[in-house]
Amino acid sequence: MKTTGFKRSLPLARSAAGAVFAANMVAAAFTGATLTGATVAQAETAIPAACADLQAKYPSLKGKTLVNAINPHTPGYESIDPNDPTKYIGFDIDLGEAIGDCLGFDLTYKAVTFAALLTTLQAGQADIVISDIYATVDRAKAADFITYLKVFDGVLVAKGNPKGIDGINTSMCGAVAAENTGYVEVPLIQALAAECEKIGKPAPEIQLYDNNANCIQAILSGRADTYINDVNTVDGAVKAYPDKLEKATAVTLPYSVGIAVPRDNVEFRDAVMAALTEIQKSGLQVELMKKWNLPEDQLETPKLVLAE
Amino acid sequence: MELFFHYLSQPYLLTGIVYTVLITLFGLAGGAVLGIVLAGMQLSRFRALSVAARIYAVIFRGTPLILQMIFCYNALPMIGIKLTALEAASLALALNEAPFIAEIIRGNIVAVDRGQIAAGQALGMTPFVTMVRIVVPQAFRTMIPALGNEAVSALKNSSLASVVSVQELTLRSTQLASATFDFFSIFFASGLMYLVLAGSIAGLQIAVEIMMDLDHPDPKARFARLLPWYRTPVALPDANEGTEKAQETAATLPPAGAKATVPLDRAKRAQAIAVSRPAVEIENLTKSYNGRPVLDGLDLTVRLGEVVALLGPSGSGKSTLLRCINRLEPWDSGAIRVIGRQLGVGDNGRVLSPAAIANARAAVGVGMVFQNFNLFGHLTARENIAGPLRWVQNATAREADTRADELLERVGLSHRADALPRHMSGGQQQRVAIARALAPNPAVLLLDEPTSALDPELVNEVLEVIRRLAVEDGLTMVISTHQISFARDVADRAVFLADGAIVEQGPADHVLTRPDNPRTRQFLQIMKEDPVLAG
Repeated sequence: MKTTGFKRSLPLARSAAGAVFAANMVAAAFTGATLTGATVAQAETAIPAACADLQAKYPSLKGKTLVNAINPHTPGYESIDPNDPTKYIGFDIDLGEAIGDCLGFDLTYKAVTFAALLTTLQAGQADIVISDIYATVDRAKAADFITYLKVFDGVLVAKGNPKGIDGINTSMCGAVAAENTGYVEVPLIQALAAECEKIGKPAPEIQLYDNNANCIQAILSGRADTYINDVNTVDGAVKAYPDKLEKATAVTLPYSVGIAVPRDNVEFRDAVMAALTEIQKSGLQVELMKKWNLPEDQLETPKLVLAE
Repeated sequence: MELFFHYLSQPYLLTGIVYTVLITLFGLAGGAVLGIVLAGMQLSRFRALSVAARIYAVIFRGTPLILQMIFCYNALPMIGIKLTALEAASLALALNEAPFIAEIIRGNIVAVDRGQIAAGQALGMTPFVTMVRIVVPQAFRTMIPALGNEAVSALKNSSLASVVSVQELTLRSTQLASATFDFFSIFFASGLMYLVLAGSIAGLQIAVEIMMDLDHPDPKARFARLLPWYRTPVALPDANEGTEKAQETAATLPPAGAKATVPLDRAKRAQAIAVSRPAVEIENLTKSYNGRPVLDGLDLTVRLGEVVALLGPSGSGKSTLLRCINRLEPWDSGAIRVIGRQLGVGDNGRVLSPAAIANARAAVGVGMVFQNFNLFGHLTARENIAGPLRWVQNATAREADTRADELLERVGLSHRADALPRHMSGGQQQRVAIARALAPNPAVLLLDEPTSALDPELVNEVLEVIRRLAVEDGLTMVISTHQISFARDVADRAVFLADGAIVEQGPADHVLTRPDNPRTRQFLQIMKEDPVLAG
C-alpha cells in the first residue's frame, strides 16, 4: 500500500547531510513527521472483499493515521530493513498494514523497548501494538489482546550445546539464561528454582536485556548459556551465526501471540478483530506467513485475551 | 572494516545525529534558562525561593534521567499534556540539566570576590548592575570548563531518549544491529560519531575560553594557543618593572601643587572647619554581632572639609563604623545622617530595598576605599573608573573616559590605564581604587585602612595621594589607619576607638603626641615599638 505523510521524510533520509537537509529535519522533527521515523514497505496483496463492509461499519477509522508501537529487534517479525533502514519490515508489519488497509487507516511506527510496549499504549502515545507480544492474562491488565499466532519457542545455545540444555526443565539448573525484560519466559525459568533445589542443584540465573540482539550477543560472548524465545527468532539467529549458535530444541508454551489494543475502546477492538478474521478467511495471513518463513501450523483463529 | 565505513557514511545513522544534536541543544538551552532561574532563586534573599529551588534540585538531581524521560513521555499524557517523543526527551533533559547548571552558576557567582561586590555597592551600583557588570562577567569566565563538561554529558545523556522512541543515534544503531547482526561495525561507527560531536564541543569550549582570556588580547596568540604543544609563556618580570617600581613613588606622581608644598596652617584650618556644616552626623550608634557589641552608643560629627583619623586596636569597631556610614552594613539602633540625609531609610522611616539604598548612596555621594583595594578584576584601570560612572552616574562613554584619564594622571598612573588589576602592584591598585572612589565627586570619602595590605615600600605612594587630596581639594575624609605619623600630618582630628566607643578625641597633633587617656597612651606606645603588631 501507499503510505501517506512520509513522502517528505523518505527522500530526506536518503539524501546526504547538508544545510537544507538539516533545516528540513529540524522542521520535520517539530511537526513530528519523522519522529515515528521509518515506515513500511508495501503489503502487496489484495484486500479481502468483506473489508468494504467493515469500513462501512466502522467509518470513524477510515482515513486515520494510527501509531503502532513496536520493538523492532526481531527480524522476521519486525525490524528495520537493512537495505533501507527508514523502513520497518516483517510479518507483524505486513499484518498490521493489512488490517489497516482492510479498515481504511494508515499506520506509522514508534520504536520502543519491549518492556515499554504496553506502557506506551497505556499513555496514549500509541494506538495499537503488533510486535510479537504474547497475550497473557497478566499483560491483559494493561491492554486487551486479540490473538493471531500460536507460540513455539526455540532454545538457543552455543554451538555444540555445552551445557546440554534441552528445554525449560532441570537441564537448565545452574545455567545462565539471557532474556528480555518483561518476557513471559522469565517467570517460567524462575519457577525452575524449586525443582532444581529438590535435586540439589543451583537455580538458573537470569540476565535481563532489552532487545533480542543483546540476548544473542550474551550467548556469543559467553556471558549466557541460553536464550529461549520465539522459534523463528532463534532460527534467524542460528542462520546469522551458523558456526557459533544452534537451536537445542523447540518447546511449546501455553500462550498465543496477540495484538494489543487499548482497554477502553471496545469498538476499535471489535473492528481489529473483525478485520483479522477476514484476513485469515481470505488466506492472506497464510500468504504473509509463507513470505516470512513462519510455519503454517502456527496460525491461530482470533480470540480475545482479557483481564480476569 | 568495509562494513565500518559503510555504516559510517550511512544516511540512516547520520540522520540519527540530527536528533541527538537537537535533544542536546534543546536540553542544554532549556537547562540553562531553568538553571539561571534556579540559581537566582537560591541566591535570593527570600528564603521561600531558595528552599523551593533546593527541593527541585533534590528531586531532579536525585532521580535517574531515564525515569524522567519515561515520566515526561508516559506520565504527562495522564494529566493531558501529550508531548511528542522529541519534546518529551528534550524537556526531561532540560529538567535534569537545570540543577547541575544552577550549581555551576551559583558556585562561580559565590566565588567572585566579595570585596568587589562591596566596592560596587559603595559606588552606588544597584544589586542588578553589580550582578550584570561585575559578577556575571567574571563568573562566566570561570564556569566555562564546567559548562563544557555539562554539554558533553548532555550529549551522551541524549542517548537515553532511545527509551522513549526518539530516533536518535543510539536507537538507530541498536535497531540496525538487530536487523543486520553487524553489531561491532555499527557500534564502532556510532561511537566515532559521538566522539566527533563531543570533540566539536571541546573545540567550541577552547575557542570561548580563548575569547574570554583577558591575559591574551593578542589575536596572533589566540591561534597559537590552539596548538596542543603551545604553553602559556611564564610571565617574566618585565625588565623595566623593577626600576619602574622604585622610581614610581615620587617620579610618577605629578608635581605637587602650591598648597601641598607648604606646611599646614593648622589654626586657620581649624577655624574654617569649626564654622562649616556637618557632613556626617552619628548619634548613639549601637551594633552587635551575635550578641557581642561592636559599636556601643557611639556619637561622632564630621564637618565638611575635615579630615578625621580613626585609631584603635583591631576589633575596636573602626571598619564597622565606616561600613555603617556608607550603609554597607545595617545597625541595631541610633542614626547616621550624611549631608543631612539618612541613608537606607525612606522619608516615612521604613527601611529601603538594596536598590533604593544604592541610589541614595550615589545621590548623597559617599566614596569608599578598602583595605584590599577591591578593584574589579576583569576591568582595566581606566575601565574600573569609567565603568561605574557610566552605569551609576549615566555619564557618556566619552565623559567617563576623560574623567578616568584625568584621575589616573592625578594619581600618577596614566601609563597603566590599560593594565588589569592583577598586573599592577598593590600600591598602584590602591591608587586606582582611590581614583575610582573620587570619580563621582563624593561629598565624603571613607578610607578603611588604605595601606594595611601594602608592602612597606609601597605605603608612601598611597599616603602621598591621600595627603594631597586633603590639602589640595579640601575633601572631607574619615580614615581608619595605623599610620600614626601620617595621621598626625594630615588629620585635623584624631578619634581613638576602643570596644566600640570613643575613648578620646581631639586635635590630631595633641591626641597623638600627648594623649590624656591611659588606653590611648598604651596603644601609641605599642605602635611606636612595633607597628606591625597593631596592624
